[in-house]
Amino acid sequence: MIKYLGRRVIALAVILTIVSFGSFSLIHLLPGDIATVILGTGNTPANRIALYKQLGLDKGLFSQYFTWLGNIFQLNFGNSFIDGTSVSTTIGTALPIDFEMILISQVMAFAIAIPLAMKAAKKPNGLFDRIATGTSFTMLSVPPFIFIVLLVLVVSINLQIPGTGPASFVTFGQDPFHNLVSLVLPSIVLGIGSTVVYFRVLRSDLVSTLQEEFITMARSKGLTRRRIMWRHAFRPSSIALLGTAGLNIGGLIAGGFIVEYLMQIPGIGYMLILAINKSDFLLVQGIVMTIATLIVLLNFLIDFLFGIIDPRITRD
Amino acid sequence: MTSTIENNEVVVLKPEKKEPLGVFFWVCVGWLGVNLLAAIFANFLPIWGPQDSNNYVDLNTGPSFSHLLGTDDLGRDILSRIIYGARVSLGVSFGAMFLAFFIGGIFGMYAAYRRGKLDLILTSVSLVFLAFPSIIAVIAVLSFWTPRSILKITIVIAVTSIPLVYRVIRAATLSAATKDYVLAAKIQGATDRRIMTKELLPNILPTAVSFVMIGIASVIVVEGSLAFLGLSTNVTTPSWGNMINESRSVMQVNPWLVLFPSLAMCLLILSLNFIGDRIRSYYDVSEVKL
Amino acid sequence: MSSSPILVVKNLTTTFITGRGRLPAVGGVSFELNADETLGIVGESGSGKTVLSRTIMGLQPRSNVELGGSVQLLGHEIVHASEDELRTIWGTEVSMVFQDPMTSLNPVMTIGKQISESLRVRLGMSKADAKVRAIDLLKLVGIPSAEERYDAYPTQLSGGMRQRVVIAIALSCSPQLLLADEPTTGLDVTIQAQILNLIEELKSKEKMAVILVTHDLGVVATRTDRIIVMYAGRIVEMGRTRDVFFNHRMPYTRALLESTPKVSNPSHTRLITIPGRPPDLYNLDGGCAFAPRCAYATDQCRQEAPSLQEANSDGHLFACWNPLPVGTSPLNQQNSNEPNGASNEQ
Repeated sequence: MIKYLGRRVIALAVILTIVSFGSFSLIHLLPGDIATVILGTGNTPANRIALYKQLGLDKGLFSQYFTWLGNIFQLNFGNSFIDGTSVSTTIGTALPIDFEMILISQVMAFAIAIPLAMKAAKKPNGLFDRIATGTSFTMLSVPPFIFIVLLVLVVSINLQIPGTGPASFVTFGQDPFHNLVSLVLPSIVLGIGSTVVYFRVLRSDLVSTLQEEFITMARSKGLTRRRIMWRHAFRPSSIALLGTAGLNIGGLIAGGFIVEYLMQIPGIGYMLILAINKSDFLLVQGIVMTIATLIVLLNFLIDFLFGIIDPRITRD
Repeated sequence: MTSTIENNEVVVLKPEKKEPLGVFFWVCVGWLGVNLLAAIFANFLPIWGPQDSNNYVDLNTGPSFSHLLGTDDLGRDILSRIIYGARVSLGVSFGAMFLAFFIGGIFGMYAAYRRGKLDLILTSVSLVFLAFPSIIAVIAVLSFWTPRSILKITIVIAVTSIPLVYRVIRAATLSAATKDYVLAAKIQGATDRRIMTKELLPNILPTAVSFVMIGIASVIVVEGSLAFLGLSTNVTTPSWGNMINESRSVMQVNPWLVLFPSLAMCLLILSLNFIGDRIRSYYDVSEVKL
Repeated sequence: MSSSPILVVKNLTTTFITGRGRLPAVGGVSFELNADETLGIVGESGSGKTVLSRTIMGLQPRSNVELGGSVQLLGHEIVHASEDELRTIWGTEVSMVFQDPMTSLNPVMTIGKQISESLRVRLGMSKADAKVRAIDLLKLVGIPSAEERYDAYPTQLSGGMRQRVVIAIALSCSPQLLLADEPTTGLDVTIQAQILNLIEELKSKEKMAVILVTHDLGVVATRTDRIIVMYAGRIVEMGRTRDVFFNHRMPYTRALLESTPKVSNPSHTRLITIPGRPPDLYNLDGGCAFAPRCAYATDQCRQEAPSLQEANSDGHLFACWNPLPVGTSPLNQQNSNEPNGASNEQ
């Protein structure tokens, strides 16, 4: 197990290094000149030189990179060129909101998808299975932005439930109850997307696991169907589910941006969009690096969990 | 043809015929065709022009005889805007996918077949790119690469899709290339090019086609997301994403403006997903048929 | 030895309903088994022996399957019993050893847990007690270092070891009947004898009845009291092991015996095979299923399926219109008083 994790840690470090360099250079490769943005009409050569010097942009690319990287390790993402606010503060306030939404949506997704998949897998192609599979397929085809718009139309506008509409977000510290209410609709949208994916993967995996001989053996021991499903079938099948969850959650970290944008919830995705619009390079850099790091860490965690569930994996 | 029950086989024998693709499959194909035809031949259809507005009368009407799906807040016919909007959605998605497949597919197939250094480099690079949500890159690039055009949007989406296409085609080719018929062709002295076109390509085609369909569906969603951020086409050119985005301000007054373009988009996505999924399961021999 | 039979099978039929038609995997089987007997069920692939053993236990999946006849097992009627009813006897009164230990053990569970699971769930043992008993069982089936092996995963064991674990699991709740479905087919030849000996030992220790299902006559020659020979889902000959080996009447039995390679044969002896192909169970006509491949087949054989008739009063039955004459078994040329059959050495 240690060896397995060790290899994963090395891979993690390598990927993070590449990603950090990637996000750093991406910003610097983009068209658009920061001087134009900041200085506007005062864009004279003299001012530009002064600006670059002030922002530390006059040094070579590599030097800038290492300075930036060094600061990152101290969790100092710098101060935005545009409005001077601390990037780490911005990220620090935005990130917990995403975590909250992801938490709610994933709890919902697992709570619905797992029992449904188990029931569907018991009788493949039976009535329940076909209805569930068909419904989930249809849900897959509704993009999140349509989903949220429709939900808002029905819930906030038609049903007039207060606190659920766009721009009704309150932080948890301020008012926990209204915070949760304002996050309900977006979390549902994220949750349904996840539910559908988890259902499909788990159902299909369970169906093939249930065909295996050791399931017949478990039956021959006189174990109850419930025990067989949870203890014998679910365990091997949960590997695929876990892998999917890793990918899915990774995608949600930034991918929830459209929902956040539409509901004006100041999560990390929303911040990223605003930063791009404002050409706030440093903020974009910081956010991109943060997101990428989180995704890589998440995958590492998933790999670790794999090792626990299926000991064969660590033996490679 | 004899039939035996193998030593351990207590489950029903696999049927010899494949299940037919199904009625719904062909319905979806038909719907895709309708969308394509309508988009291409929009000019010749007996519908309103997408910018036509009857002197700003008839605003936000619901479905009626003269406007089958109603009008929007500027009096323009929704149905015709949807049909013209299909051009953007289908154009961008088909264009981006074909471009991505052309480049990513060829590299993927070649790298999987030859293996070696090229494969190692390309695959590692693609891994890094795949670690990152591509939509962010699309947004970033499009925000800065002004002025916008459909072509630029198509290209950017295509480029960001290449790593995924590369991986999928590479995986499919890997599993096909290890089969014995490829070895047999090699022994007979076939050139690499011949093997790739005659042996490998037909066998990865189902996977590729299925993935293309699903890819097109996801690009349609991407275009929609871009529209919501104001990064898609300009205001006058209709696109489904634009229409849904603009509808938000008049949602209470004109729910049709939300519903119909949404329906058009969802139905097409559903059809594409179903076609892709059905093709994959039809040709997937390893999937247990129950 | 007049114990009443623990298993009574009457006219059992198992028919699969498939897209290609009805498949009568088991087409009318009747026999009895007593509490201290070992019964061998022999047949080629496709003879229905595996389906028979699973149907007897009730393990057959329910969908698209039609069962007919009756199976009385330890007082329980198996055919048409609900899964809930069957679950009460699975493990505690009847259990099965499967063919391939690699696939019949859960790969992500330790072998110790897989044994103690039965003990805890079925016998209500505590975790600690179950562990102790499980380790005892591992020792019983001959696994060295049982305490350490308790936490091992199936992939860490060799094939023979895994099969021993499967046997341990099957025995854990002391069933009265053990069904062994090709228990050695997937194992190295050298291990096969060990496993079979183990089963024999345990049978007398635990006082169980055993049904050994196999295609290998060598397996059943010395280890069974009675044998059933199956072909195309029906019994074609059955009786005491000696009778079947030395006094068989049905040509198929002869053909099976002759096609078994013998170590005692001179080198380069041609292998005798049974001509023709296995029967197409979808299209059985009314005659004897073996007729197309039988050297002695007559028109009657092809038209009418023979039913079982008695050869003696000791339970020896066979189904044939043109049975082989009594006492002509080639095995009789050797020591006919010894029960050693096909694998006899000169």
